[in-house]
Amino acid sequence: MGDEPESAAQRSRHERLRYGDFIREVNLHQQQVSYNQLTPHLEADSEGHYKDYLPGKLILDKADVGRLLGPFVSMRFIEQARAVLPLAIYLALFQMVLLRSAVADSWLISFGLFAAIVGLMLFMEGLRLGLMPFGENIGNNLPKKSPLWLVLSIVMLLGIGVTFAEPAIGALQSAGAIVDVRKAPYLWVLLNQWTDILVLSVGAGVGLAAVLGTLRFLQGWSLKPFIYITVVPTLALTVYLGLHADLHVIIGLAWDCGAVTTGPVTVPLVLSLGIGIAAAAGKGNSSLSGFGIVTLASLFHILAVMSLGLYVASTITPHEIIASATQLSATAPAAAWWQRSPVMEILGGMRAIIPLVLFLFLVLRVVLNEVLREKHIVIFGLVLCVVGMIVFNLGLTYGLARLGAQSGGTIPAAFTAVSTVESSPLYGFMLGVFLAMIFAWVLGFFATMAEPALNALGMTVETLTSGAFKKRTLMMAVSVGVGVGITLGVLKIIFAVPLAYLLVPGYSLALVLTWLSNEEFVNIAWDSAGVTTGPVTVPLVLAMGLGFGQAVSAVEGFGILSMASISPIIAVLSTGLWVQRRAQLRTRLLSQMPADSKGAVA
Amino acid sequence: MSTREMVVLTDVKLITCIVQRDAAETIIAAARAAGAQGATVNYARGMGVRERLGVLGFAVNVEKEVINVVVSSEQVERVFESMYLAGNLDIPGAGIMYVTPVEKAATFIPRSVRDKLAG
Repeated sequence: MGDEPESAAQRSRHERLRYGDFIREVNLHQQQVSYNQLTPHLEADSEGHYKDYLPGKLILDKADVGRLLGPFVSMRFIEQARAVLPLAIYLALFQMVLLRSAVADSWLISFGLFAAIVGLMLFMEGLRLGLMPFGENIGNNLPKKSPLWLVLSIVMLLGIGVTFAEPAIGALQSAGAIVDVRKAPYLWVLLNQWTDILVLSVGAGVGLAAVLGTLRFLQGWSLKPFIYITVVPTLALTVYLGLHADLHVIIGLAWDCGAVTTGPVTVPLVLSLGIGIAAAAGKGNSSLSGFGIVTLASLFHILAVMSLGLYVASTITPHEIIASATQLSATAPAAAWWQRSPVMEILGGMRAIIPLVLFLFLVLRVVLNEVLREKHIVIFGLVLCVVGMIVFNLGLTYGLARLGAQSGGTIPAAFTAVSTVESSPLYGFMLGVFLAMIFAWVLGFFATMAEPALNALGMTVETLTSGAFKKRTLMMAVSVGVGVGITLGVLKIIFAVPLAYLLVPGYSLALVLTWLSNEEFVNIAWDSAGVTTGPVTVPLVLAMGLGFGQAVSAVEGFGILSMASISPIIAVLSTGLWVQRRAQLRTRLLSQMPADSKGAVA
Repeated sequence: MSTREMVVLTDVKLITCIVQRDAAETIIAAARAAGAQGATVNYARGMGVRERLGVLGFAVNVEKEVINVVVSSEQVERVFESMYLAGNLDIPGAGIMYVTPVEKAATFIPRSVRDKLAG
């Protein structure tokens, strides 16, 4: 110890000279280069000032570009493939083994699934590079620079914008084509002629939810009263519509929109904004403040869609709709070029992203007067977003929706006669329905288990409850819940149970459980429903339900997703109560014990 | 009452490796396989290559992980090398690593080891 600098230098020189030891330790060929040779040499001008050094652009050769992009792309591709492929394989296997019918258009579907994977990959990357910088920038700066009313109105508009950008919303729009106008005139008109207004009202619901959620952040309000005052009128309206002869068919649509809106665009963008606002107000400490927006978002638009339905019903009568629809199908021979398949997806993708980006850009420049850093990468990200959306839309049309509709249409062959499957029904009615139920349960369970958002939620929850609520417990509870929900949804379609009969008791039970549970579990449970329904599950299940409904000639095939939303809420709330009760029992046991044996039990 | 004492370690080197987010885990596993006892990870932001790559820079994450590994001077070459290979630092933008001399270090040394060394 205490070497003089000189001897230290000598020692290190000595070490470098032990070449044999060095060679024994080293397997790689090492070449030593002085760093001095690589750094730029600045030259002074005549007055002795040094000029600033501007690094030139790095030009990589092809091999290096490949090595840079290869792992980057393959990692992301595998991530998305993991979400899509198991489900697709499950659907195809079920169809081939148990229903003994080959998958039609298998090449087209494989191509579509590939497109869906690539599209999602590009879109998610574009989201990270292009849209998130906007969200973070606005979230951090807006609350500091603007009054609260302006912040809230921007949040509101953003809620509408993100709804249009949500990839799964396209599935809803394409679902309209299948509905039979004579059986469900109002559903048909909402999905075909009022599509934009439908999405707009869903967006308004999301926007309003984002505003209230943000206010909740700021004021630290409890989520419970929000749930009571939202769910009760929603249920009341559901009952009212359920009693209405023509309008009961839109209940399924209204409740299903919930699962659609809480997707990969809405959740991170709205959350980043909300968290930014809370942080700026100095109230971002509560680890629970991130929750709640998603819940409110998935409840409000149910109200919005049902109100829209009421409004439509007050303006036109079913007869007028049927008349105009038959007239339309008679006069319009073929879809215009911009309504046909590839062009429609391209336009749809652009329409989803570009207005949102323009809005965000305007807020950033005009309201905040901020400049974006790394412009070329952001622009590249936005291009990726649009391209990803287009490719995903194509994948949706040719892969996910087609496969879902096909297996939805084939499964009823297990218990009833279906024209596309020879010698159907394949099994007896009881066995067939039982098979369909098993199919639905497994689909829901595994699709949810694979959802990456659920994994993330599970980790948050485990940290929040300091280990009382294990990640595995939550994931199991949610997945079992979704499985049961999808099974109930399928049964609803088979036996044509009015959706209100399932929703009203379900949500009433959830309300009672909410009242019994404490704040943390309420937050977790209501949000778990939103995160489970990702961009792959939603279109697949939606298409499956619609195909299923068509095959058993039900009026409409909506409702499966809404059942998949309520069941996990109940499952998580009851699990939460059980966890809580067990913890209470343990503390009671401990307090009854003599003090010296306490340590042994704990 | 045992008196507390401290063992000071000499011949210590510090390997610091700055890589993109989420790359640390495999690199630390490689370092431990090569004999390193443990590692510390900090989160950081870095810049440089990303800007100079133009549009290709999107593949380089600005969020970094800084791995600090304390090794003995005999291990340093082997650990350094396996970390380099595990982190694929020969890819543009993947990261940078360096070794710094450490004058001394101290940490928990099990009593049995201490006794053996003393004896």
